[in-house]
Amino acid sequence: MVCAWGVRVSQIFSAELAVTSNFSFLRGASYGDELVMTAKALGIAAIGIADRNTFAGIVRAHKAAKENDLRFLPGVRLVTQDGFEVIAYPTDRPAYARLCRLLTLGNRRAPKGSCYLTLEDILAYGTGICFVAMPPRVPGKLFTAGLARLAQAFSGSVWLGMARLYGADDARRLKALSCLSDDLQVPLLATNDVLYHEPERRQLQDVVTCIREHCTVKEAGFRLEANAERHLKPPAEMARIFKGYEGALCETERLVERCHFSLDELAYEYPDDVFDDQLAPQALLEKLTYEGAAAKYVMGVPEKLQATLAYELKLIGELSYAPYFLTVYDIVRFANEKNILCQGRGSAANSAVCYCLGITAVDPTEIDLLFERFVSAERNEPPDIDVDFEHERREEVIQYIYAKYGRDRAGLAATVITYRARSAIREVGKVMGLSEDVVGAMAKMTWGWSSTGVSPKRVREAGLDPDDRLVAISLTVASELIGFPRHLSQHVGGFVITRGALEEVVPIQNAAMDDRTIVEWDKDDLDTLGILKIDVLALGMLSCIRRAFDFLEESYGIRHGLRTIPQGNAAVYDMLCEADSVGVFQVESRAQMSMLPRLRPRTFYDLVVEVAIVRPGPIQGDMVHPYLRRRNGEEAVDYPSEELRQVLSKTMGVPLFQEQAMKISIVAAGFTPPEADGLRRAMATFRRNGTIYDFEHKFINGMIERGYEPDFAARCFKQIEGFGDYGFPESHAASFALLVYVSAWLKCHYPDVFCAAILNSQPMGFYAPAQLVRDAREHGVDVLPADINHSDWEAKLEFVNAVSGSEASAGFPSYRKRWGSKPRHRCAVRLGLRQIKGLRAEAGGVIADRRLAGYDSVRDLWLRTGLSPRVIELLANADAFRSVGLDRRDALWGVRGLGGWGQHKKGQNGKMPATLPLFAHLENAGFQSEPDVYLPPMPLGEHVVNDYATMRLSLKAHPVSFLRTSLQARRVITHAMLDEMKDGAWVSLAGLVLVRQRPGTASGVIFATLEDETGIANIIVWPKIFERYRKIVLQSRLLAVRGRVQKADGVIHIVADWLDDWTHELTSLTDGRVGMDEHGLAPSDGVKNPVGDPREDGLRKLYERQLRAARLMPKSRDFH
Amino acid sequence: MEPALAYSHAKKAGRQAGRRILSIWLPDWPVYRLARACKLDVAKPLVLRAARQGGERIVALNEAARALGAARGQLLADAQAVAPGLSVFGEDPDADRLALKRLADWCERYTPWTALDPSPVYEEPDGLFFDITGCAHLFGGETGLVQDLMARFAGFGFPARIAIAPHPGAAWALARYGRRAITLIGPDDVRSALDPLPLMALRIPLSMVDDLARLGVKRLADLHRIPRAPLVARFGKFLAQRFDQALGHDAEPISPSAPEIICRTRLQFAEGLVSLPDIEQAIRLLCDEMVPLLKGAGRGARRLQLHCFRSDGVRFAIMVGTSVPSADGAHLAALFSDRVTGFSHNQGIGGLEIGHGIETMVLHVMNADMVQAHQEALEENARKTRLKRRPADLGFLVDRLGNRLGFERVGRVCPRESHLPERAVVFIPAVAGIRPLEEGRDPHDWRVEERQRVGRPLRMLPCAEPVDAIAEVPDGPPRRFRWRRVVYQVAFSEGPERISPEWWQAGASVFARDYYRVEDEEGRRFWLYRDGVLGRETACPQWYVHGVFG
Repeated sequence: MVCAWGVRVSQIFSAELAVTSNFSFLRGASYGDELVMTAKALGIAAIGIADRNTFAGIVRAHKAAKENDLRFLPGVRLVTQDGFEVIAYPTDRPAYARLCRLLTLGNRRAPKGSCYLTLEDILAYGTGICFVAMPPRVPGKLFTAGLARLAQAFSGSVWLGMARLYGADDARRLKALSCLSDDLQVPLLATNDVLYHEPERRQLQDVVTCIREHCTVKEAGFRLEANAERHLKPPAEMARIFKGYEGALCETERLVERCHFSLDELAYEYPDDVFDDQLAPQALLEKLTYEGAAAKYVMGVPEKLQATLAYELKLIGELSYAPYFLTVYDIVRFANEKNILCQGRGSAANSAVCYCLGITAVDPTEIDLLFERFVSAERNEPPDIDVDFEHERREEVIQYIYAKYGRDRAGLAATVITYRARSAIREVGKVMGLSEDVVGAMAKMTWGWSSTGVSPKRVREAGLDPDDRLVAISLTVASELIGFPRHLSQHVGGFVITRGALEEVVPIQNAAMDDRTIVEWDKDDLDTLGILKIDVLALGMLSCIRRAFDFLEESYGIRHGLRTIPQGNAAVYDMLCEADSVGVFQVESRAQMSMLPRLRPRTFYDLVVEVAIVRPGPIQGDMVHPYLRRRNGEEAVDYPSEELRQVLSKTMGVPLFQEQAMKISIVAAGFTPPEADGLRRAMATFRRNGTIYDFEHKFINGMIERGYEPDFAARCFKQIEGFGDYGFPESHAASFALLVYVSAWLKCHYPDVFCAAILNSQPMGFYAPAQLVRDAREHGVDVLPADINHSDWEAKLEFVNAVSGSEASAGFPSYRKRWGSKPRHRCAVRLGLRQIKGLRAEAGGVIADRRLAGYDSVRDLWLRTGLSPRVIELLANADAFRSVGLDRRDALWGVRGLGGWGQHKKGQNGKMPATLPLFAHLENAGFQSEPDVYLPPMPLGEHVVNDYATMRLSLKAHPVSFLRTSLQARRVITHAMLDEMKDGAWVSLAGLVLVRQRPGTASGVIFATLEDETGIANIIVWPKIFERYRKIVLQSRLLAVRGRVQKADGVIHIVADWLDDWTHELTSLTDGRVGMDEHGLAPSDGVKNPVGDPREDGLRKLYERQLRAARLMPKSRDFH
Repeated sequence: MEPALAYSHAKKAGRQAGRRILSIWLPDWPVYRLARACKLDVAKPLVLRAARQGGERIVALNEAARALGAARGQLLADAQAVAPGLSVFGEDPDADRLALKRLADWCERYTPWTALDPSPVYEEPDGLFFDITGCAHLFGGETGLVQDLMARFAGFGFPARIAIAPHPGAAWALARYGRRAITLIGPDDVRSALDPLPLMALRIPLSMVDDLARLGVKRLADLHRIPRAPLVARFGKFLAQRFDQALGHDAEPISPSAPEIICRTRLQFAEGLVSLPDIEQAIRLLCDEMVPLLKGAGRGARRLQLHCFRSDGVRFAIMVGTSVPSADGAHLAALFSDRVTGFSHNQGIGGLEIGHGIETMVLHVMNADMVQAHQEALEENARKTRLKRRPADLGFLVDRLGNRLGFERVGRVCPRESHLPERAVVFIPAVAGIRPLEEGRDPHDWRVEERQRVGRPLRMLPCAEPVDAIAEVPDGPPRRFRWRRVVYQVAFSEGPERISPEWWQAGASVFARDYYRVEDEEGRRFWLYRDGVLGRETACPQWYVHGVFG
């Protein structure tokens, strides 16, 4: 093409090569795909995206460009420490590798999130790269000198970027640049230095600039652009505004022609040095697979499985994924050697090969596998194997990977942290100069909401005027900002491993954690480019199960592993049917607990369904109730069509799993498999740009055309929408169901083992130690208090006969014992010192190590362990000195007497030596004898409160039991009595709030779980009632409820009608007496309105005091 | 059992006999202080927030907020979830302290011995101590005094609690933890009044209160039962001292507050000065003497007060202020001279009377700021060689004008960062604009830093005036335009400079402007703009002239 004066503008080749996307954090104001699509629509021939010192955004743009069939140049805008800016486009793969190395170098020597480069670095790595130097508004000496050096070093590959930005001096500026270009023999290159795809984004660009500069928009001044010209412009417009500089436009074509590099060239190479074996990877994989199969099926590998294996191996061979499988196998083998429990999850469980290699645990003969879901030739995406490891030992696995492949070949994937509704509104509100409380009110509107904007109705509810100018602008801008990337963070466990140097594939950054490095791409980017990723995830339940296995071997001499637990045990299913599942993996939540008695699982597959059904997908698709009805035989099982029978036969005609929903879209809505996959991805990622509605239209119409009920079609689509957030394929549910069964088996047959194991694995799961201990005791397990002479750091098992019966049961209230009649175990659980808040593991270790025959006094413990009095005070506070005959108060007095407390000052750490070493030996001779001191005995109630304060649980009594008399007087019943209540009866209850939940799927309904000394009660608060008792519902620790009993399928709920906060009643426990004392120190009626109450003057400060008492109670866990 | 801790200090107690101490506690002082200062409605829920451990927390709140369920120490977000509609303000401990100090000064109407309570329960003082020994009868006895005090505080909108006791410790405890808002106790009732109070009444840290509570010691009465030695060994002397102070066994003085005078000079004359030149001369002397004092402290005066004591026992004072910290004797003297010219022998001009003459003059520096040292010699040099303005010179002018006309009347224009021409300058009080040279940037530089190498017109029209123009589409310069009925032929032009509206301003235009510098055939130069981008924003843009060059 010839560029000369008079050529028709439509023929002018125009490429925009200085484009900044929003991955130049807080600079660019458009997504890469928006830029690409706009460029395509405007007729721009090629687009190059160059973000500030990062490649983080190019993969998305690359993908969008491919979909839109637009020439795309991946580039980077290199900004040196002293402000020299140059855009770099690699011409070929080696040049790209050099750029990656350059960025890695800059990233690694800078703190997280920045990149330090100098011109020298650029000169050192610049071979094969096309440079476009971007002059500042007024090109100074620094720029000229930099450009001259660059031009000298890479003659012929350097351009001078020229933008026309509608300043007052544009003409002079262009002329000056043109002179500079002549002087240095650097051709000009026309660009618009784009920050956003359309001029309407100026507002957002101004706002992000202010966020970056930490100022309000009113203060920003010249930091903002004067106009909205930095958007993509069509070629004709570019030709017009660069009239007289046509050559500069033609140079874009020259540059584009020079750059051949495409991200598609990053053909991924699997690491092939996993094993030193002589065999080729494929052969080795086949050998290992068949060996594994033979070991697993002693009776001979079933024929069907053999066929499956052959098919899978063939496909793996064709796609040459063998090294990938071997890599994962190697990691799993390492874990097994180190006795770290692990299990594959996700779609990998669809593979029989993975099962035979020991990566996954779902027996392919039991569950129908869908290998295509995992590996498919048409999708051409690498398989994704996620493996869970014990959460406490995952680090060992990570370090193994680093050690084996080296840091230059292994790195963690990134996660792009984006603006959520709340953070977007906060930031925008601040920039707009709204006051703190308005911003707070606006942010609060998003309570429990996530990625969508805010409706005017909600604005009004929050007490703001949606028509107010600033509020309206803030909300619009904020809704645009939602979804913008904010920074890169480290992925939970996605590892990228390459054959060559990783830093030649993608730049590497420092992560926030020491000793961790992350690559600049997230998992979707890696997927797009087909780069291997192994998810090394952490799962608390695996730690718990491993501990349980260790206890089993140690105390019962039984050796078990994940795969040797006897399957199909009726007692286990009986237990689950009764919703007796506290602590059991996945099915312990309130929602699961109310589902269990309805679903009544009897087989392993029922568990798979159980795990999958209480998820947003089936709930939003309203699939739960039809399934339950069909299962209970209340509704005939029928299929909407014959073609769907195959898809839905396993689940009685109701789609529950993600694969089923996908299959429906193929079978019933006429999607092609890639389209179906696109739909799934659209749900998860591209929610904002409206493509979802096209899919919705196509999906529903497609189904209606094929003769399905519109209602069924709409529900199926809703379900897919629900899966968007939390996809749960069948294979994944099956992997989890396996852990459900194992943990349930342990809990059912060895509640002592299970209790000790789960206590040692905290924090994890849904329940606090108090509830776990309580549940164990309800199952007849003796739980013994933490004690300096008996406890180790962790909880352990003691043989019951070794413990004096009196200690085990003295003072314990009688708990309801469901399993009490038939002892299934022989051990008691001794709480570990880890239960004591604030105590460190080293201290716990020292106490156990130096115990010998036992400590006989506070002083003895102190002298022998050398722990500081502060630490010993923690033990005393936790009442751990009972075995030496000291109760909490006496022990505290003793600890205090160790000295080292001196003047009570801030920062006093109690480390001051209390006794000079010379006199230490005189201690026992009564060298420092003191007068006896009479301390009033601590009332039981106060003991309990202090137990909670120090250990979050008490074995002595339940706090509510002390209030029982007064509660009874108010006709409050115990939770145990609920069993006898009739459906629809009115009751009053009171209990400690364990959990408050407001699930997004339940349209504003609040679920709360209360606990008293007899059991647990589930409360439902409808939105109307919630609004009336908002404060009480959200704040109470001790909540009183009056409401109607609702019983269905053995699940009891109380629908609240009236609520009250009785938290202040707990205060009476610390004062050792219930009710009022004559000096008005603990009056219960005035507390709610303490200061300035005309009836009571003596209540100053009581509120603070009362709050302190209430704070000692464990806080409820709130989810929204 | 004999109370072990309450041993007697006969001597000290004897010296303190008959002492009456009043402690006044202002619960939630910061909120009510703010409510009064900003005229907020205390019936509405008000809370103060501050960054504390774990995020923004409530540090003070009023009754209405407490009634909604908010509490001190709560996370602000939690409180707002429970009680929507809280009015939230930032805390301002400095203002609180200052206001409390003022309040203490005001309370000197009751007794000269007023002091801020040095031992707040929380972080900042929220109470006062008065030593009212021998003062109460002036107000109708202690009851009368307390009622008067209560009524006045209620008038200010400050809820208060008051206790009078023989020593500060007891008064403090009873003001905060007594059963009633007003407690008066005699020396014999101290022990019985204190016994039921919680340990927090001892002014000891909450952690110590907690530790003692765990041992079962929860009230002051419990403390009597514990032998002193082991207690001191475990909790330190501080506890014992506080206990003694509460019971009056340990002396605790109250120091009154007084205004801070940074430095002063003083002149006495054998005969009263009567002539104006003499007075001016004396002022000059005082100011010159002040200079080394100020320079020695590295400070410059911001506010000065001249007290003139007349021989007939009348005193009057003149106050002057400066816009920049100044340690220049001549300058300071000049400021006073401007004011003293108003003096006269009889009542008249300025209302100040010299009368029989001024015997004594005292000059106080009430307020001073740090000044940066200057190389005098170099500066002198620079001033001679180049006529370069020093900010101090301008400051002298502003001071003199300001002290005469009132500082609020002396203003100056200042560049403001805005792309829009009509918003690019702002009028500000002259005092605010004067700052020392910073980072080599001259604040008086009118050039818009490097962004434009092309100047804007010196004369801007107060309002842009519409013109009829003929121009190239879409964004070409005007060829010809008619302004005020005269047609101009454009010979040269430069532009456009496109300036988009400041969208965040209320009433902002929606059109971007394209500015052109044009010169007509006779060499007149104009600044014109087209309002609105053709095609994108409007179909038929209007032209305006906004300024004239030269």
